[in-house]
Parts: sequence; C-alpha cells; structure tokens
Amino acid sequence: MTALDSAVPAGGPDTAPGPAPVVDVSGLTVVYDTAPVLDGVDLTLVPGEVVALLGHSGSGKSTLMRALTGMAPVTGGRVHVADRDVTALRGRGLRALRADVGHIFQHFHLVPRLSALANVLAGGLHAAGPASHIGLFSREQRTRALSLLDRVDLLAQARQQARTLSGGQQQRVAIARALMQDPRLILADEPVASLDPRLAGNVLGLLSDLARERGVPVLVSLHVVALARRYADRAVGLREGRVVVDIPAADVDRAAVRGIYGADTEFGTDEEERP
Amino acid sequence: MTAPTTPPPARDTGLPEEARRLAAPWRPPGVKGALTAVIVAAAVFWSASGAGFSATALIEGAPAMGSFLSRMWPPDFGKAATIVELLVETLQMAVIGTLLGALLSLLLSFAAAGNIAPRPVYLAARFVLNALRSVPELIFALMFVSAVGLGPFAGILALTVGSVGTIAKVYAEAIEAVDPGPVAALRSSGAAPGQVIAFGMLPQAAPLLTSYTLLLFEGNVRGATILGLVGAGGIGLELTTALRLYDFGHLLAIVIGIVLLVTVIDRFSAAVRARLTA
Repeated sequence: MTALDSAVPAGGPDTAPGPAPVVDVSGLTVVYDTAPVLDGVDLTLVPGEVVALLGHSGSGKSTLMRALTGMAPVTGGRVHVADRDVTALRGRGLRALRADVGHIFQHFHLVPRLSALANVLAGGLHAAGPASHIGLFSREQRTRALSLLDRVDLLAQARQQARTLSGGQQQRVAIARALMQDPRLILADEPVASLDPRLAGNVLGLLSDLARERGVPVLVSLHVVALARRYADRAVGLREGRVVVDIPAADVDRAAVRGIYGADTEFGTDEEERP
Repeated sequence: MTAPTTPPPARDTGLPEEARRLAAPWRPPGVKGALTAVIVAAAVFWSASGAGFSATALIEGAPAMGSFLSRMWPPDFGKAATIVELLVETLQMAVIGTLLGALLSLLLSFAAAGNIAPRPVYLAARFVLNALRSVPELIFALMFVSAVGLGPFAGILALTVGSVGTIAKVYAEAIEAVDPGPVAALRSSGAAPGQVIAFGMLPQAAPLLTSYTLLLFEGNVRGATILGLVGAGGIGLELTTALRLYDFGHLLAIVIGIVLLVTVIDRFSAAVRARLTA
C-alpha cells in the first residue's frame, strides 16, 4: 500500500462533504431482455478522483459506463452526470452531455489515417464551427490541441498518421483527444488491456496525473488489481450487476478481490506486485 | 551414440481421428463440392450453347479476320491532327464526366450506406442505383443528345449519369467497410452527424474511394471513345465515319490512337493507385 493514494482525499462513502459530485448514481438498474445487467448500482465521483471499476467480463462494467452517457437503456434509478439527469435527455441534450464526457477505449479508436493533431482536434468537434467539416479549425483550437499533445509528450509526432504510432502513443493521443473536449468526466473502458505492462503503467499514470491536475474525475475499468491499487483513489467492484466493494484503492485486499472475482481467485496473480 | 530413431508410423500421431483427417494433403470433394461443380458446368454449357458459341465457326472464320485486318494495313496518319484533337476531347469528356459523376456518387453513397442512412432511405437509394446501373450509357447519351444537342456536352452528361450507376454503390460499400470504432468514438464525444462522416468515415474510406475513382476514370476514357457513335462527342463519331467510308487506314490510325490513350491512362492510374494502397 503506497502513501500516494492517501495524499488525495478519497471520495469514499464516508468522507466529509466536499465538492459536488460529477457522477451521482443511485439505484441504477438496467435490464436487457429480462435479465438485469445492473441491479441497484450506487456510484459517486467527485472532481479529481480516479475510481477503478473492477469485475469479471459480463459483470456490468461496460454497461455502467454506457448508462452514464445514455447509451444503455436505464430501467430504474437515478443517473445524474455533470448536473444533468441523463434519463431525461434526448437528441441535442444527449449530445451536449456526451461532449462533456471524454471516452478512452481499449482499442484507442483513433482515425488511423488522420494525423495525431487531427485526431486531437476531432475531440473538439462539438465546439467547432461548420468549417470543421472540411478540416478547418481556429488558431486557438489548434494551439490548444498542440499543447495537449505536448502534455502527453507527443508534440514531435503531431503530423504523423495515427496508424504509424505505437499502441502506447496512440492511447496518449486518445487521452489528449478526450481532454480536447474539455470534459467534466472521463470514462476509460479497459484503457490498458491492449498495452504491455510498462506502457500500461505509463498510460494510467498520465491519466491519473491529468485527472488530479485538471480536477476531472476518471472512471476507469481495469482487470489488473495491482494497477487499480497503484493508480486509483478508490476501487468499485461489480459482481453480477451489483456493487460488492467500494473502498479506497489502497485497501483492496484478498477478501475484497474474492468478493469481486469469486472464492477461487488468487490475489495478485495477474501482476508482479504481491503483498 | 544412439542409433537414429526411425520416424513414427504415419498413423500413430496421437491426434484424434478428426485431426488426422485434416492432415491429409488431399481430400475428395464432398457431396456439396461435386454438386457445385455439376451446377457450374451446366450453367457454362447452357450459356455457351444459347449464345451460339461455336469453335468451328471461329476457326473457319479466321482467314476472313486476317483479310479484314490486312485491308486496314498500313495505318494512314494523314489526319493525325484531327485524331489528336478528338482524343484530347475524349479525354476532357472523361475528366469532367468522372469528376461530376464522382461528386454525385459520393453524395448518393451516403444515402446508400447502411451505416449512415436510415433503412428506408438506404433501400430507396439502392433501388435508384440499381436502375441507373442497368441502363447502358449509350441510352443516356441518346437521351442527352436529344436534350442538349449533338456534341461532347451530351457525352459528359451521359458519362456522369453512367458513373453514378457504376460507382455510387461501390463508394457506399467502401464507406460501410470503415472501422466502426473511431466512428463511435467521435459520436461519443458529441460530434454532429456530418462531422462524424467528415472526420470518422471519409478519412478511413479515402484510399479506397480514390482508387475506385481512378478505376472509374479509366473506364470513362474507354467509354467516351464510343459515345461518338450517337453523336455525343469524342472520337467515336470519326471512328464510325471511317468505318462507313471504308477508310480503313484512317480507321486503324484512330484505333492505334485510342489504344495509346487508354494505355497511358491505365498505366498512370495504376501507378497512382499502387501508391495509394501501399
């Protein structure tokens, strides 16, 4: 357990009243066909905190993230994101919400033939004028995109096609693209599952630094417990659509992991760190 | 030193029966394979007999073909200036017809792409494209000649409409084939539908779209050479006139000119396409 985690106030269930939460979810239920995928999920995220979402494939992690931007059918409960009631939003309102939420994907999802710079600029499309259709952006927007590329250490690659970048570099461009949205929340769905362990640490470190320095909360799903312990403030464990664990990331122990993944799971097998 | 071990008998690989059958270098075709072969053979035979294909007629007619070709020899380049002028006009028709056709096709292909257009629009667009494709370009040329008069402009219009029929569906399929991931990423960042097309789809489809456009251009250069048959500009009219006047030397010169033009364009376009898809 590192001291790093305790340096930042964790927005756990019993913290003193702090900044207003960006994500405020209670009793969220999503039913596909007849089977509940999410079953009464409670979740809050306050500005600047990094929350790791843990759980098996099929435990509802992706559905939870999708529900936060109105991309999963919410059958019950309250979903407030960035001061909006997500379940009440349609069309234009939903697009405005999505513009406020940055996404990071496992497979990066950059446009392969566009330059790194153009990919970052694409994050600002919601605020760009009609000239953006033919690839024209204002000097301010281009400057902002370039300084974001600089922040993720890829300024030298600004003109390179995204497909020529390595996986770690592509994910850093994707982070810059998400930040270009000037988001109030970042959702990262398995952002390091396609990267080798060294790059994974690199990308997660960058993501959590940026979250803290800009006060943007990050909800990141991971399947490596050790990474959650090192880079997140709080860990939320989902099992069969229910929150079974919601504790400071540093407190994730054998019992917590068994609670999330089942009794036969060995703790820490998937990373070098063993307590 | 141990004696070299003999390889184990082929059958004794420890693999299950299923896997051992997969290891066989050749397997007789199954019932399905044999049936397919019979159906294909029947279709070929049926088509050949129906279309009056006759190897004997071809062989017996060979001398006649020879004398036809020998009457054309030698080519007569006396009217080379006219030929060049008409070839240039043919090329110009192809350039403009391709450009207009490609632009129209691109717009229509959005309507005909399943990942952009809603289902009813998609079906309507596909129907229109199928209808356009099934009408020969010469018919369009006749129609436009009667609308705007004789000359290359009618030919350009015919090429434009013909291009849409040929290429819009192919464009639509190139757009449908883009990786949906980046498209979803842009949607999830609040980009408007037009921006998603411009930023997420077109850049991904661009190499294919350009490559198809060049292929279309090659085809249009060839197509433009025959539109003259109905008076829609280009070298076709000169060609048919020479044929009617039994001016075979001139005819051969025209054909050589067309071959040169088409070859140059095909080479050029193939080189560009190779660079694009590299």
